[in-house]
Amino acid sequence: MKQIKNIGFWFLVLFLLLLICLPGIWIFVSAFRPNHEILSKPANWIPDRWTIFEFTQMFSIKGYVSVPAFQYLMNSIIISLFSTIIAITIGMMGGYAFARFNFKGKNKIFLGLMLARAVPGISLSLPLFILFAKLGIINTSFGVIIVYVAMNVPFTIWLTDGFFRQIPKEMSEVARTDGCTRFQAFWNVELPLAGPGIGAAAIFSFLLSWNEYALASVLTRTIESKTLPIGMMDYLDEFTINWAGMCAIAVVMIVPAVILTFMVQKHLVSGLTFGGVKG
Amino acid sequence: MAKVELKNLTKKYGDVIAVQNLDLSIPHNEFLVLVGPSGCGKSTTLRMIAGLEEITSGEIYIGDQLVNEKDPKDRNVSMVFQNYALYPHMTVKENLGFSLKIAKVDKKEIEKRVKEAVQILGLDELQKRKPSQLSGGQRQRVAMGRAIVRRPDAFLFDEPLSNLDAKLRTQMRTEIKKLHQKLQTTIVYVTHDQVEAMTLADRIIIMKDGYIEQIGSPIEVFNNPINVFVATFIGSPPMNILEVDIIKKDGKIYFELDQDVLMPCPESKASLLSQKNQVMIGIRSEDISPSNSNTSDEFWCFEKNIDLAEPLGTETQLFIKLKNKEIISRMYNPREIKIGEQINFAVNLNKIHIFDNETKKIIK
Repeated sequence: MKQIKNIGFWFLVLFLLLLICLPGIWIFVSAFRPNHEILSKPANWIPDRWTIFEFTQMFSIKGYVSVPAFQYLMNSIIISLFSTIIAITIGMMGGYAFARFNFKGKNKIFLGLMLARAVPGISLSLPLFILFAKLGIINTSFGVIIVYVAMNVPFTIWLTDGFFRQIPKEMSEVARTDGCTRFQAFWNVELPLAGPGIGAAAIFSFLLSWNEYALASVLTRTIESKTLPIGMMDYLDEFTINWAGMCAIAVVMIVPAVILTFMVQKHLVSGLTFGGVKG
Repeated sequence: MAKVELKNLTKKYGDVIAVQNLDLSIPHNEFLVLVGPSGCGKSTTLRMIAGLEEITSGEIYIGDQLVNEKDPKDRNVSMVFQNYALYPHMTVKENLGFSLKIAKVDKKEIEKRVKEAVQILGLDELQKRKPSQLSGGQRQRVAMGRAIVRRPDAFLFDEPLSNLDAKLRTQMRTEIKKLHQKLQTTIVYVTHDQVEAMTLADRIIIMKDGYIEQIGSPIEVFNNPINVFVATFIGSPPMNILEVDIIKKDGKIYFELDQDVLMPCPESKASLLSQKNQVMIGIRSEDISPSNSNTSDEFWCFEKNIDLAEPLGTETQLFIKLKNKEIISRMYNPREIKIGEQINFAVNLNKIHIFDNETKKIIK
């Protein structure tokens, strides 16, 4: 009886998992079959014919055939990587300051940062477009990086602030009596201890930049500046939609993000501070 | 190797005074213990010496140098914290050598000094372990080793034994004392545990509300407390304090311990009390002990029923009530005690302490 119950339970779990993963699976499957098969009714779950046609099309380096996916991929990587590095550098220093120092208006500034995060990005698109156009940084990776840094800094400050707070302040104090300057104490002791938290913040801000659509769609219009999510819209023509191509480029988008997350995941195990102080 | 001097040191947090006008000179090689209840300013004082807390006013000298404006790193003092604060991401060996690495000391020298510390503290087997793989006592030892390696001018200990269990605490206490004898360095040690203070210190400072109440050697503050606070803080169990009326009879002065229980005032102190109607008297539990026959003049006897007895093995603590206040007496040759049993107690009159009942200061 108990066994049957168990099996029942696992079937339920499997069903729920499938339900959650269904859109992902559909995208993946559709990336490897011709467009007409995607549109067939009733839905054809397992492709009759597997093909990598869409991938060869978008990655034919010598003069692209469908969409310049390689260029978009590079744009995405550059923009996400740089915006993450800058945001995390500023964010972790900000987070450290909020966690360790007392200064005038600390709470108000913190609240202000969080409120800035609450503003819907899309509402900024028009002012940003006008501003960037006047500054001449529209359609550049630089412009998009600035916007993403601004979006990510409050978030990384908030996240790393929490992680620094978890590290006992005696850690930096003992380092300072051990001969460190405040910065050396931060660099040699507190930063390594906050590593998992900073890693988490980095992943979040990378993914945010990687997936962002609304602002990028306004600020980038050229092949040289478009990111993958915007590039996806190249498959949308006036009268037709190339679903297979869209799914293929979606796979190109999803795969690096998933790989990255898995790679860093094992470093995210917290509890690293255990043992330094009385546990 | 240096003396530490505090001049008129004050620390305020807003309007709250943590430490007030502290003057203190700690000679080279002294083991000084700051003791007091929580919030008395002892840790703040230590942190100011370390440079971790800003000074509101006053001066701190280490050696002959004024260090008020110096960073902790430039003061050449080492601090051991209550929660050890070992670097969790470094091995024991790296923990020990960290300060030297920061100071860019030659690798061979680091190796040598770490080895020295390891030998002094018996950490040989543990060098490659991380702090999380150590027991409480071992972590404490590493924390001390980290302080030793720097060869500082002074060691600062901030309640280093509070997180250890009772047995280990006693053991580490002895080790710290031995360490001091071996290293011959100035130590400032903060604790709220008066036993630690008594056993370790060359000199004790008892603090309360940011002020120094008394400074002296352990025996001095134990035998001659200058006020009720020190009297009850130092010593375990605390000194018995009774507020008593002064009765004058036949030209002699008596203290009314209880209804119809009159204790004669020692003659040496009688002249001090001629103007007084009420005083507080303090009797240590060992100076009020059960006795069968004490005919000598310095002892005064009375009978009382036992409320409670706590056998400790070497002694039994007896609880009696005088004027509705609990009084503890020590019985050094313990036997079975029945609750309610009437026992004859003898008070050593030469060892009673008399305090002013208003100022709470000793009457001498």
